[in-house]
Amino acid sequence: MDQENQKGLKYINPYLGGVLLGLLVLFTVYLTGRGLGASGAVNDVVTTTAEIVTPAQARANAYIGPSITDSDHSPLYSWLVFESIGMFIGGLLSGVIFGRVKKFHVEHNPNITSKTRIISALIGGALFGIGSRFGRGCTSGAALSGSSTFSLGGVIVMFAIFGTGYAVARLFRKLWV
Amino acid sequence: MDMISEELIVSGRHIPNVDPYLHVWHWQIPFYLFLGGLAAGILFFAGYFVITGKENKMQATVKWAPILAPIVLVIGLIALFWDLKHKLFFWNLYTTIRVESPMSWGAWTLMVITPLSILWVASYMKEIIPGWNWKFEFLNRIEALLIKYRVWLAWVMMYFAIILGIYTGILLSAFNARPLWNTALLGPLFLVSGFSTGLAATIWISKDAEERKILSRIDLVFILVELFLIIHLFMGFWAGSQTSIEAVKMFLGGSYTVSFWTFVVVLGLIFPGVLESMELLGFHVPKWIPSALVLFGGIMFRFIIVQAGQISHFIN
Repeated sequence: MDQENQKGLKYINPYLGGVLLGLLVLFTVYLTGRGLGASGAVNDVVTTTAEIVTPAQARANAYIGPSITDSDHSPLYSWLVFESIGMFIGGLLSGVIFGRVKKFHVEHNPNITSKTRIISALIGGALFGIGSRFGRGCTSGAALSGSSTFSLGGVIVMFAIFGTGYAVARLFRKLWV
Repeated sequence: MDMISEELIVSGRHIPNVDPYLHVWHWQIPFYLFLGGLAAGILFFAGYFVITGKENKMQATVKWAPILAPIVLVIGLIALFWDLKHKLFFWNLYTTIRVESPMSWGAWTLMVITPLSILWVASYMKEIIPGWNWKFEFLNRIEALLIKYRVWLAWVMMYFAIILGIYTGILLSAFNARPLWNTALLGPLFLVSGFSTGLAATIWISKDAEERKILSRIDLVFILVELFLIIHLFMGFWAGSQTSIEAVKMFLGGSYTVSFWTFVVVLGLIFPGVLESMELLGFHVPKWIPSALVLFGGIMFRFIIVQAGQISHFIN
């Protein structure tokens, strides 16, 4: 078997993957009453950490304050956190089954170092996190789950994320592959 | 004449941090229980593979992983000492032997197994670091003696490793005022869990795929036994008195349900078990992932049991 075919076996067809992802959103809404999300779990972790380190400031904060309640449950007791644990389990299993899991390494453009790659990825991730808070959700929470409910906001977020990505890709391409 | 009826109750309940919940055992205790179990597991299998004559096949288990044992034991002892209220009186434990006291068992077992683990590592120093020189002739003579009687040393070490592993659970189950801890299953459960974490650490260290395979197989059995014991622990409580039922409800709908089932059972036992099985079936799994999960599950298990046990009580 040649390299190309092997690669084909390792990853799902993107169009099929997209349809499955859409069905997954339906199933999640049916099962949990909520859509999918990724940045929300990070937000819950941030809220919990803030509550532990600086309780007074966390409660006074207009954005994260309302998520801190006096109930028995910590902000981590949320569907998105468990969904993220499930993503870790599922992603790892899929990687193991299809032989994608290898020795730990950093993939990057040969013209840059691993360090540059990691730093730029961290900056990019932080910007994405901040942006997703302004946009009330990320690619999963707003674009995918939002637009599946015909929310205009979700569609705008999707075009903003992918449109900006498409527009600036040439500038930052070297920081990635 | 008026009769004055007076009732005198002698109780320790007025002591601070006893009511409404016991709040005397902090993070140091579950952390130590984890390290004690880990050391017990590492030392038990080091001894086992020497006795069965597989010393050269199981290099990491016999020679490398045991280096960790005295280190984690000492860190664990520092944690224990840290948690003591009257630190300067710790030596009182060594002025007596009380068969009915788990703490006495623990103190003496640690007194035996910590030096034993150091001797064990010392007896392999020349193999671990080529060109190692003891500098003094009497140390060479002691080393020769240790190597000659290594199988005996292994027997004694395994024996004390079992006591160490069980005692970490008995320490809790001897508390008859805490329904969640007061079960004879806690000893075997902590032993099995400790051995499983010891195996996980050894698998992580080992560079030999064949050795990892053997250890993974054993670890799988331990994971299954641990799941079996957890189910029986809960079933035992469920069939017990009202206080036991209240205690187990913390894990079956109560405040520890999510953390226990997610972190201990799914992420700490079932998922690493699945990954280890897949590895045995020929899939490539990075060796550190199942090990890290088992170790994580082991530490979570002890933190949750110590915390929930302090909350479980008789009187509302």
